[in-house]
Amino acid sequence: MRLQRPKGPVLRRVCLWWRCVSTALAVLIALVAGTASLAQPTYFLLGHEAPDFALRAVAGSNVRLSEHRGDVVVLSFWSSRCSPCRTQLAALDKSLATYRSAGLQMYGINVDDDQTRAIEFAHGGQTVNFALLLDPAKAVSRRYEVDNLPMTLLIDRNGIVRYVLRDYSAKSDDLYLQQLRTLLNE
Amino acid sequence: MSHVVSRPSFLAARKGWAVGLVAAMIGLSLAASPAIAQNAAPAAAPANAAPPSAPASTPAAPPAGADAAATPPAADAPADAAPDTRGLDQEVQGLKKDVVDLNRDLFVLEEELLFPANTQVAVFLSMDVGDFFALDSVQLKIDQKEVINYLYTPREVEALLRGGVHRLYLGNLKVGKHELVAFFSGKGPNDRDYKRGANLSFEKGIGAKYLELKINDRQRKQQPEFEIKDWE
Repeated sequence: MRLQRPKGPVLRRVCLWWRCVSTALAVLIALVAGTASLAQPTYFLLGHEAPDFALRAVAGSNVRLSEHRGDVVVLSFWSSRCSPCRTQLAALDKSLATYRSAGLQMYGINVDDDQTRAIEFAHGGQTVNFALLLDPAKAVSRRYEVDNLPMTLLIDRNGIVRYVLRDYSAKSDDLYLQQLRTLLNE
Repeated sequence: MSHVVSRPSFLAARKGWAVGLVAAMIGLSLAASPAIAQNAAPAAAPANAAPPSAPASTPAAPPAGADAAATPPAADAPADAAPDTRGLDQEVQGLKKDVVDLNRDLFVLEEELLFPANTQVAVFLSMDVGDFFALDSVQLKIDQKEVINYLYTPREVEALLRGGVHRLYLGNLKVGKHELVAFFSGKGPNDRDYKRGANLSFEKGIGAKYLELKINDRQRKQQPEFEIKDWE
């Protein structure tokens, strides 16, 4: 019995084309997602107690982190030269206005070499309703291993670092609000 | 005959889709796993992170597991099992007490090992009244070397004004002559920036040395006064 060669070459070609396209798509998705996850390595303090510090504020009294045990604390490391940092500070300020009564504390830690720029920023047109702290010796920034600006840490009511955001965008803002609500509801 | 011809083509098409879907799922799961791990870790972390820190920072804090073990039987157990749960509660209380005692002993042992009595130097700070001086920070130098620069928060200052004494520094020094210099920063009379220093030369003998930095108000001069007291 002689095997007949399958007919319908157009259909076969379409099938082959679909197979190639779907495989290529899968590989592409894996590559994109893989590189995205590689770009944000796990932060060493996640799940650990946030190191305590005391810093001077641009305006107002000194701040010690351990005094805010029982509150959800948001720390944002920023620089006056960093444009997304300013946008993020404004966004954080909005969330503080909403959730302050639920036990939210927020601090912006300036990492500028020139502290006068931070002071100018604090007293300038774009002011925020939370304390901006100065870290002139960069001791706190080193302890928290700040490798990107802006960098935002969410610390739960037990003083444990629960989330870290290493960038700012509209998407990360949504994620931040979601994570913040999670911590405030605990 | 046509269905014989077209069947392998459909099979091939299905196979292509299946291969594509499986590859996509594997790719997505591989890519998502670090992100999931990163997000899941913090949620699970407090349970893991709490036990090491709990004995060190809060000696009186009961172990998380103890409460969890004690409460569910009390809630779910029938009425006739009440005496058993009472006994269990007592056992749990006993265990908590043991943990607190053990933590205290460990703390004392740690201090004895790290700061033996023959080399130990402790510096305390106290404040009286504080009408003429609002404390902001204290910098401490021993033998020209800065050992601590401590920023005080309003809460800490309030505690000092209520009679609290803060152990500012605990360290080791060898036997002999030493010099302690303390710089006090804050707001002085008329809300002006104020910085003053005080120094003390002392002899470190065999045995622990305790020094106290005292901030007092001098009513006659309307100025704060800074002194270092050597507790023999």
